[in-house]
Amino acid sequence: MIKARNVSLVYRDGTVALQNINLDLHHGGLFYVIGPSGSGKTSLMKLLMGMEFPATGFLEVMGQPMKKRETAKIRKLRRDIGPVFQEFKLIPGRTAIENVILGLRFLDIPLNKAKESAINALVRVGLEHKAFTLVDKLSYGEAQRVAIARAVARKPALILADEPTGNLDHDNAVKIFKLLESFKDKNTTVIITTHATHLIDECRAATFIHVRKGEISIERGGEQI
Amino acid sequence: MKNLGYFLREAGKIIRYNSVSNIFTLLGTGLILFLLGLVVAVWGVSSQLVGMLQQEAEISAYFDNPLADPQDIINNIQLIDGVWNVRYVGAEEARTRMENILGDESYILDLFEKNPFEPYLEIRIHLDQIDSVLQTIANIKGIDYVRDNREVLEQIKGITRALEILGYLVIAAVSITTLVIISHMIRQGIYQNRDQIKTLRLLGAPDRFIGFPFVLVGFLLTFGGGLLAAVLITLLINRGYGQLGGTLPFIPLPSRDRLLFGLVTLLLSGSAALGILGSVFGLSSINKENQG
Repeated sequence: MIKARNVSLVYRDGTVALQNINLDLHHGGLFYVIGPSGSGKTSLMKLLMGMEFPATGFLEVMGQPMKKRETAKIRKLRRDIGPVFQEFKLIPGRTAIENVILGLRFLDIPLNKAKESAINALVRVGLEHKAFTLVDKLSYGEAQRVAIARAVARKPALILADEPTGNLDHDNAVKIFKLLESFKDKNTTVIITTHATHLIDECRAATFIHVRKGEISIERGGEQI
Repeated sequence: MKNLGYFLREAGKIIRYNSVSNIFTLLGTGLILFLLGLVVAVWGVSSQLVGMLQQEAEISAYFDNPLADPQDIINNIQLIDGVWNVRYVGAEEARTRMENILGDESYILDLFEKNPFEPYLEIRIHLDQIDSVLQTIANIKGIDYVRDNREVLEQIKGITRALEILGYLVIAAVSITTLVIISHMIRQGIYQNRDQIKTLRLLGAPDRFIGFPFVLVGFLLTFGGGLLAAVLITLLINRGYGQLGGTLPFIPLPSRDRLLFGLVTLLLSGSAALGILGSVFGLSSINKENQG
């Protein structure tokens, strides 16, 4: 699913965001990328989304090498990824269902199937009653659930959620984590970044990727790997 | 096709988002295209006039021996490429023509004991072949002298060329201006929608899906301008054509319906093509503005 070998990320201003990352994540499962603010969690997600490219080393996501010259292929790869962002990135002035369908319109799916998938996704996140509400009128928690519905409606192989609870209160944050965790199965890998580790203490079934000062370590079931 | 409704709604939203600017774009494009229509109309009328003048372009050939039978010479000249009519003008006809020209002064011709005019050939030619025709006629046996009216003919040719160049310049200027306006509007639209475009890219949307609503906007604005120009030019020609024909009766006007049909077709098809082209130019900035 994801293979990284000695990957480093250096921004244009010379900031080293990640260094010598090595990862082997297989299909299915739940992964939390945790660490304090500014540790490199979002940089890792940007690499996985193809928004940034490794300065050194080799990174492959679902068999696709993440290289700058392969942007067209990376764009296609994103159709198999369900992204969830801290700031939701919903399209204002559209309803919840329009936002969910928008993520499906350019896939090879007939429009009626796309509508069906969008409704099912909204039902799954518990927002079917707000399907025709403008996203501008939704609360933060509801908006994030619409963003999750948009991500999962396309049945992606990989869900990447970058600080999905950053703008939410405690109760809503816990609900969002539980919701995202529920999409994990043998065909879907869920990777969530967060600095709110106190909200995920009970999630023992997850693998934790600790990021500190651009370096990572992996822990599963309380053991260091 | 499954997304046509979505593309149209998006185009509508992009237009509404910056409605004042887009209304001015539509009006500006309409007026520019109206000017283009006017120039093309004037070009059409002058082309007809020049064409008529070109058909009137004629040279005169005089005989070595005015009393000889001219038929062989006429036959030879008619075979020359670039000659479309040869007419024999006898001495008496030449005198009558001069009497008509002189009018009240024609009594002066009575002072001559004998008719002072010689028969000659009046030859109508295609202007663009004047040099080769003159040379060939001058070399025909039995022809003494060719009067070519070259200066007048060259002036007619010059006017034709100048009008053509002017027409092409105006078409080029209007096309470039429209392309610049539309591509600028599209760039503005892309800038205003940059967050949405970025999100679509992150979701994996192809550039053609992201860009198509903007192409539609360019098409709709320019085609709207074309429609406006077509309405204005139709009103103008319908009102002004009769007056022009009455005031300047010597100007040969082409058929009004034919002229209008040509102009409306040109304005609508031209505006549609310019709108699509302008949008595509504007869209080229999408890659620079929203990479990721």
